[in-house]
Amino acid sequence: MVDASSAYLAIGLMALVTLGTRIGGAYVMRFVPLSARVERFLEAMSSSVLAAIVVTFVARGSLRELSAVAVAILVMVAIRSPVWAMIAAMAFAGGWSMLAG
Amino acid sequence: MDLPETSPPAGSSNTSRASSALVTLTYEGVVRGARRLVPVSVFVIPFGIAYGVAAIEAGLTVDQAIAMSAFMFAGASQFAAIDLWQGPLPYLSLALVVLAVNARHLILGAAISPYVNQLPPGRWFLALCLLSDVNFADSYKLMKTGYRDAGLILGGGLLMWVTWLAATIVGVFAGAIATNLDYLGVDVVMAAFFGALTVGSVTGWRTGLPVLVACGVALLTMPLLPSGWNIIAAALAGGVVGAFLPAEDKGEREPTAHG
Repeated sequence: MVDASSAYLAIGLMALVTLGTRIGGAYVMRFVPLSARVERFLEAMSSSVLAAIVVTFVARGSLRELSAVAVAILVMVAIRSPVWAMIAAMAFAGGWSMLAG
Repeated sequence: MDLPETSPPAGSSNTSRASSALVTLTYEGVVRGARRLVPVSVFVIPFGIAYGVAAIEAGLTVDQAIAMSAFMFAGASQFAAIDLWQGPLPYLSLALVVLAVNARHLILGAAISPYVNQLPPGRWFLALCLLSDVNFADSYKLMKTGYRDAGLILGGGLLMWVTWLAATIVGVFAGAIATNLDYLGVDVVMAAFFGALTVGSVTGWRTGLPVLVACGVALLTMPLLPSGWNIIAAALAGGVVGAFLPAEDKGEREPTAHG
């Protein structure tokens, strides 16, 4: 269980960090231009973190989770639609649970 | 909320000279920005609903799930945060994971800075406080062609914010009344969404290699590090690989697509 005060503390903290990313880029540019290397770092980091979350989720899960993520990736490769990738994976995982449960 | 279908700036550091006309932020610009994004905003609805349901499943209360959307307004990082939502809350890893997921905002802000940095502080803040991939892409395109009203960014952001919040509320209440969310496949929403975004962001070896390295680091460090830290290690590793890849040729730069 997460108690209410620590939950709101965490939400406030994350909101501040997010706001910092929104205003930070333009703020820094007042003093020093973002180098191409820093830009490549930020760009690569923001795709890497998502990929890392996915593999961690799959490694913690079972065949059901692995297959559902595979379905999402296949749909994305086929039709380039994140919405449909998400819906297909949900339907797949939900169907799996119904058949297994 | 970040939509995955937009492209980042091509070489933001090359755009440091905005044209001489002064940038403003007006009510008309805000209205125009909101109007322009009405069709696009529809696409955040399924993600907002999915986030709301998943947040309830992760153990957030109705208020907390809604507050997160209202104050963060950054879908991918919200999904990442609820994945780490177990008491006692790991504040530092939450903050760092959110920072890594939203680091892309820094690039967007830098790219649009030639325009917004002409504004006085209050309006400067208003122009940036709801910056996301979607309103950035729309405003950047228009401002590059000479449009000089940063209200466009704020208006687009406000519309996306309202849509994201409304969709979250729908999802939160759906999650609160549903009995077995596994039958809806809600637990795989985040991984499916992120998997799709990752695929969308990989356009060649330059974008693929950092992601591959990150996956390897995440798996290898998972048994060694406390919850969430393997993700931070992987994000840093991927970022460093990306930073030290040789610079690409000018015309070769392809738009990546992810939130």
